[in-house]
Amino acid sequence: MSNQASITRLPQARRPALLGGYEWATLCLVGFAFAVPVLTRNPQILSQTNLILIAATAALGVYIMLRMDLMSFAVPAFMAIGGYTVAVLSLKLGVTDAILLGVAAFVMPALCAVPLGWLILRLKGVYFVLVTFVLTEIVQLLLFEAAPLTGGSNGLVGMPAVTLFGIELMDNSQVLLTTAGLAFAGFTITALFTRHFRYEFTAIEKNDVLAESLGLACWRYKALAFSVAAGVSGLAGFALVNMLLTAHPTSFAPMSSVSYITYTIVGGKGAILGTLAGAALLVTATDLFALKGELSPGLFGLLIIVVTLVARGGVIGLAAKAAGRMRRASPAAPARVAPIAAVQARGVKS
Amino acid sequence: MDNLIATGLIGISLGSQYALLALGFTLIFGILGVVNFAHGGFYVMGGYVAYYCSVVLGLPFPVAVLAATLATAALGWLFETLILERVIEDHQATLMVTMGFYLVMATAILLLFGPESPEFSFPITGVWRAGGAYVPYANMVVIGVCLAAIVIVYWLIYRSGIGRAMRAMAEDRAVASALGMRTRALFPFAFALATGLAGLTGALVTPILALAPHVGDPVLAFSFLTVILGGLGSVAGATVAAFIVGMVEAYAAVYLGGSKGALALFVLVLLILVVRPQGLLGREVRRA
Amino acid sequence: MSASLTASAGALRADSISKAFGGLKVFYDVSFTLPPAGLLGVIGPNGAGKTTMINIMSGRLPLSSGQVLLGDTRIDGRPVYANADQGLVRSFQQTATFAGSSVEDNLIAALRFAKRDRSVLERLAPLLDRFGLIECWRRHAEVLPYGLQKMLGLTMALATQPKMLLLDEPAAGLEKSERANIDAYVGFAQREFGCGILLVEHDMDLIRRLCPQVIVLDGGRLIAAGPPGEVLNRKDVIDAYLGGTDEEDADAQHS
Repeated sequence: MSNQASITRLPQARRPALLGGYEWATLCLVGFAFAVPVLTRNPQILSQTNLILIAATAALGVYIMLRMDLMSFAVPAFMAIGGYTVAVLSLKLGVTDAILLGVAAFVMPALCAVPLGWLILRLKGVYFVLVTFVLTEIVQLLLFEAAPLTGGSNGLVGMPAVTLFGIELMDNSQVLLTTAGLAFAGFTITALFTRHFRYEFTAIEKNDVLAESLGLACWRYKALAFSVAAGVSGLAGFALVNMLLTAHPTSFAPMSSVSYITYTIVGGKGAILGTLAGAALLVTATDLFALKGELSPGLFGLLIIVVTLVARGGVIGLAAKAAGRMRRASPAAPARVAPIAAVQARGVKS
Repeated sequence: MDNLIATGLIGISLGSQYALLALGFTLIFGILGVVNFAHGGFYVMGGYVAYYCSVVLGLPFPVAVLAATLATAALGWLFETLILERVIEDHQATLMVTMGFYLVMATAILLLFGPESPEFSFPITGVWRAGGAYVPYANMVVIGVCLAAIVIVYWLIYRSGIGRAMRAMAEDRAVASALGMRTRALFPFAFALATGLAGLTGALVTPILALAPHVGDPVLAFSFLTVILGGLGSVAGATVAAFIVGMVEAYAAVYLGGSKGALALFVLVLLILVVRPQGLLGREVRRA
Repeated sequence: MSASLTASAGALRADSISKAFGGLKVFYDVSFTLPPAGLLGVIGPNGAGKTTMINIMSGRLPLSSGQVLLGDTRIDGRPVYANADQGLVRSFQQTATFAGSSVEDNLIAALRFAKRDRSVLERLAPLLDRFGLIECWRRHAEVLPYGLQKMLGLTMALATQPKMLLLDEPAAGLEKSERANIDAYVGFAQREFGCGILLVEHDMDLIRRLCPQVIVLDGGRLIAAGPPGEVLNRKDVIDAYLGGTDEEDADAQHS
């Protein structure tokens, strides 16, 4: 074997890419939102784009945790922390700079998530689900109870417009620009973060027992991801408060976490593009069919069940499958396995 | 002093209804390994079936309660065998389908009965006076039925082999299955029993508290609090924790006001997670 | 040849370890020592507690009493990843790989988690070549034949450059013709990486071929220790094998 060693060559290592194809495509799409206010003044389109971006950014918090097979209901809690941080800073301290506020909206929830992550992520996965759910309920209660800081059931109103380099961002299209900036930041952070730790996250998702046996301290990566997910949710909270011009507990209702989960699952949890696609499709559908409030939960519930039973990869997974089939059907192009197919092929792990 | 006793009785009444809900919830987790997000949905459904039978059809209240219990148990059975069973190995998927089912249930109720709270009150009115303490008869009936149901459930759990299966599953699911514990055969039964309990609770309690399509949301949150407190999958833990939760809620509502009781409970749950992650009476939690 | 790493590595020592689940005792007062770069076979009938022992030694299960030492450090009850950091790495009885990732990515994951660089892979190249893993370098782990998945898992454990390897029935499920791969693996690990190896195995031929020393477990007790030629002919050992019927708790792929 020793003389064999001299002739054995490993296949060339591929140079790791900064981001994958799905990530680039997603960032381009989110970046395109900056152009929307230039292209149109239609208030309907502006507000739809705004809603989609906020929903998608919020759903990133779910996406990040699902990369490790953890279902998080904590998105509204951290959105609230981010949103109220911004409201308090601008109302009580007069901070209006969008970049400063954005940093605060990310850092504050991320810091709050650190001790919580440390606490719950060393326990079994189910505890995580339960505790995030309870956490969201509690933050909701706190918003009502801590009236001196949060305004209680009145919420916080009358925030001054945010500024960027001293310029006020006040009207519809400028609010969309702020949202687009926050969404772009959220998507960039998420894409770079999940890409950088893709080996760790994949290992934890597929087989955490094996990962630990090789030396990976799984709970640390889960806690780190929980913190980053909280920060990204905070950005969405900022965008929501900025759009509504008020910070109110009902904007962060516990059951809204279900919507964010639905966007991620229906869009496809295997790629970041799925989160954007899910938010875009479902926010548009809710609006188109005038499913305001009452009936959309039923539609969401039905979609969740259908996706879980027959199309685990969600919309993006189905699209990737269809694209793969077409490529295979055309004899000229060599068949390639779409990376998203990995979602369907996940093994049983208890 | 009288107030103290009256509040305690309210606490017991709350505790006994939470116990029924949490028992079902923990049963489903212990046997199937599933966190049932639809639990609140079965509670609401129980309330509406009872309302429909007693108010719309004019049936006697006990018959309505029985109908609610059977209807929710039957739907639970169907849901388990038709949907949940297909994804039972994948805990993420079980979460998704129970959550999706809850949304569908809540929306269906909304479509059928509308968003308004229907006129539905407990058929027995009046207040029992003991010294200076006042206790509504309705609460006493609820306590009585709930305690009876708890006793029956305990008896069922330990008679039918559910108890043995639960203990084995808590120790190690795969080993228990490998050793030929026929736990799978118990799945639909356990699920139906649990959802039936939720329906029974809903039928009894919604005429006292409130009936509306969304009243299942807080039920889910309180079930979670209770089972974390008691230890996931622990039947005795869930029962004890339910009464703690009920007491804290009752006394906090009277002496603290607002939602401080719920806040106090959360702090309690956080503390429990720090010092005793397996819950009050739960077994050792394995790192995973 | 095996001098490179062994100087700093201490022995792995089990010091009268016992384990009970609830009230049920499954493991009584077992002691043994695996010297640095040594090779110790562990045999016993099904249900003897062999996998439980690996779970205890690696830190996955806490002990009821006794202690496990690596060098001078007490390691039982510490997190599995912390022990892996110290160079104590286990393999699994069933196939254990990251599904959905290529052979290459599986190995890279092992390197990353153990904080090793790619040069370790170059050193493993002869082994990877022999197992036939290089031909399926870019294929997903879960589509490989059983034997290959198993060898991939073993190679991942080795890629962490452990001081001590705990191998849980590496030959189980392999074809007769594939079993020589285990010989090659064990030899390579000792020769090139200076690993100490605790080899839990059912295949008696394999144990006879490879292990200078074995211990025998039965019903959670250590009933014999010594060179295989001597131990395997003892009457109590033979009786234990004929009597053993219970199912081993195989728990590699569930947590």
